[in-house]
Amino acid sequence: MRHLCKFALAAVAMSAALASGAAMAQKAGGNLVFIVQPEPPSLAGYLSTSGPIGLVAPKIYEGLFDYDNDLKIAPALAESYDVSDDGKTVTFKLQQGVTWHDGEPFTSADVEFTVMEVLKKVHPRGPNSFREVTSIDTPDEYTAVFNLAKAAPYMLSALSAYESPMVPKHLLEGQDPRNAELGNNPVGTGPFKFVEWKKGQYIRLEKNENYWKEGLPYLDRIVGRFIPDASTRTAAMESGEVMYGAFGAIPNIDAVRLRDTDGFSVTTEGYATINPMALIEFDTTEPPFDNPALRKAISYALDRQFLIDNIWFGYGKPATSALSSTFAGPGLYKDPMPNYVPTADIEEAIKLLDEAGITPDENGVRAKAVLDLIPYGEDWRRAGEYMKQALVPIGIELELRYEDVPTWLKRVYHNYDFAMNVNYFYQLADPVLGVHRHYGTDQIRQGTHFVNSTRYPNPKLDELLVAGAQEPDAAKRGEIYGEIQSILAEDMPVLNLFEMEFLTVYNDKLKGIDVSGLGAYGSFAEAWIDD
Amino acid sequence: MSHSARRLRYVLKRLIQALPIVLAIVIMNFFLLQMAEGDAVDVLAGEAGSATPEYMAELRAKFGLDQPLPVQLAVYLKNVLTFDLGYSFRHEMPVSQLILDRMIPTMLLMVSTIMLAVGFGVLLGLIAATGLNTWRDTAISIFALITYATPLFWVGLMLIVVFSLNLGWFPTSGMENLTMFYEGWDRVIDIAHHLVLPTITLSLFYLALYTRLMRASMLEQYGQDYVTTARAKGVTERRIIFVHVLRNALLPVVTMAGVQVGALIGGSVIVESVFAWPGLGMLAFEALFARDLNLLLGIFLLSALLVVAVNLVVDIIYSSLDPRIEVG
Repeated sequence: MRHLCKFALAAVAMSAALASGAAMAQKAGGNLVFIVQPEPPSLAGYLSTSGPIGLVAPKIYEGLFDYDNDLKIAPALAESYDVSDDGKTVTFKLQQGVTWHDGEPFTSADVEFTVMEVLKKVHPRGPNSFREVTSIDTPDEYTAVFNLAKAAPYMLSALSAYESPMVPKHLLEGQDPRNAELGNNPVGTGPFKFVEWKKGQYIRLEKNENYWKEGLPYLDRIVGRFIPDASTRTAAMESGEVMYGAFGAIPNIDAVRLRDTDGFSVTTEGYATINPMALIEFDTTEPPFDNPALRKAISYALDRQFLIDNIWFGYGKPATSALSSTFAGPGLYKDPMPNYVPTADIEEAIKLLDEAGITPDENGVRAKAVLDLIPYGEDWRRAGEYMKQALVPIGIELELRYEDVPTWLKRVYHNYDFAMNVNYFYQLADPVLGVHRHYGTDQIRQGTHFVNSTRYPNPKLDELLVAGAQEPDAAKRGEIYGEIQSILAEDMPVLNLFEMEFLTVYNDKLKGIDVSGLGAYGSFAEAWIDD
Repeated sequence: MSHSARRLRYVLKRLIQALPIVLAIVIMNFFLLQMAEGDAVDVLAGEAGSATPEYMAELRAKFGLDQPLPVQLAVYLKNVLTFDLGYSFRHEMPVSQLILDRMIPTMLLMVSTIMLAVGFGVLLGLIAATGLNTWRDTAISIFALITYATPLFWVGLMLIVVFSLNLGWFPTSGMENLTMFYEGWDRVIDIAHHLVLPTITLSLFYLALYTRLMRASMLEQYGQDYVTTARAKGVTERRIIFVHVLRNALLPVVTMAGVQVGALIGGSVIVESVFAWPGLGMLAFEALFARDLNLLLGIFLLSALLVVAVNLVVDIIYSSLDPRIEVG
């Protein structure tokens, strides 16, 4: 039996949307100004997964797939796909009649070049996503056949415009993609063409008149604006100068106010492919956190719900496992794990410490440590202040440290000069893409950011991770990840705090931005303004 | 020797004296910035999510960061001497182009701020000094004290709340209307419209300084002998103030303005940040956090050169205001 999947053509989906109500008839035209913060370092989404690049580049470039809010695959540059029984051959049928913004046709040669020469070589996560791809055959212009060494079910979750954008072979061939002119002058197949980048001000994109999806995009122009100050971003939203701000561009404190104001809406949709998880990493190689009992005691002593309610204004879900509960969809998330509690259980924490023989000294202190905080905003500082207080009752004395980004990255991932580090990780659309890097022994890579900084080694876990990556059968895969979650709940080298919910704030006049599971990293082809 | 030839010789001499100063500034800045932990590659790789050590090593080699420090310095100095400020690897652009792009918005903001602050400061100081200990004097002094003591970012945000959100008179931020993209004279008017709030915010702070300085300076000049002489000669009070006292009282104001022009060219991080004004201050600020050292060094060098130039200009203005001061 072959697993075959055909999509409804985009046009069909569109006419369905049109039929859903005359009151929602999309209007063509209009200019959208949205917040891009901070200013991106470049627009090379094929080189960097940096957040602000993701806000702009997927409007210009497209991926083979798009994803809906339940992480289900939707067609993009690939019209359909077909996975062989052994999972080792994946065939993509491409859309016909697609052209690059410079007029050249988009063909299977571009797909082959993008994956083999660009994503597999220079993309930060590409070597992992496409690690099993040995070659790509292009029997004709609209067919790309991926030959895999082993089955790689997770690969199909990594084909969005943000994660794996298709790039023009004719503009990159024979050059080092890292130095190519394309980074600052992007040419894609997407609904919007790059026009201008005024450093320190804005990036301007105009409608692609030759876009392959009939009748799209609706908007004439999209401008990404850089506004450094959070209060000013809120003011610009209120005055209507900008209409859309995602990834907490409008801080939660203002977002809840705008949510209750006429004319504005707040949503937590559109982050399913990113899956952010707030967490604490421990240095498991040195005292005091080489003792798992201490790590688990902290998990009991911290009130996850308090953090969410008071610092993130109610947005977030207490973590219950090493995996985010959003992985329940593909059947990978197992029920809530032991050692994860939504509200603090001080007694249990003290019991754990006493049993492990970690006793208080004459001042009631059982352990001392410096808590490093991710330097991505004031919320994390507040979280650190809460933790410092919350751990006093169980005799753990914390000192807070808040540095700038380069210093912090160097400390945690290069010098390993930390004990306990508050951080957040994107778990992404599949654990292989976003979670494995945190735990595998092969992921203890000094100098590489956002990998196994805890230096937690577990050969049994390593075997399970390898098995989980290669198992094509969904039920068996679920069992493997169940076991992985049990081990991690017991050893807890990383303590997950809560599943973060980023907020998107937008002006109610802006419609059609919720059609893709990619949210702000989506193409905005179907966005329109209802004046 | 004629007057103008002497002045020219003086300018040349000053410029030659400035060379070693600027060179020392460049070298000091270079080593100072090296003391910061982490480098541009750490930041780029951190933002990218993850990167292999091989990739990071490659980037360091590409940026020249793998060279020993003295070599890096020598390369930089060599470039500077040929008027090449180097390349910003973060922005993938030459530093000189990045700085030039930000110069116009910076100059717009700074020139309008200085004019507003000095103009109104002198005026208010004059009014306060001529009406010493009257209600005018008290009101102006209180006003100056309040504007001086209020944090800039707060003033900026309050102006946005009142004039942008409540009254809708001015845009909240930015330099241009990005839904319209005006051309020609419409664009000039649009930019001027965007310039109003940041200029008022930034000048309120300096306005207070100039008001206080002008008032004190006027009062000091009043006590001088030449004022008594003028009165004895029967010169009118109005003429004493505007012809004799004002001219002398302006000297310290010019000194102060000179010092501040140099500082202001570097931009104002707070005002640029609050109003999303694309000036040099934010550029430098972001460059620091991105460890974009070439760009930072370029901005510092430019500031140093400007301070030197402005000081020279101020010295020349002195000699025009007060003929007793001679150049040479």
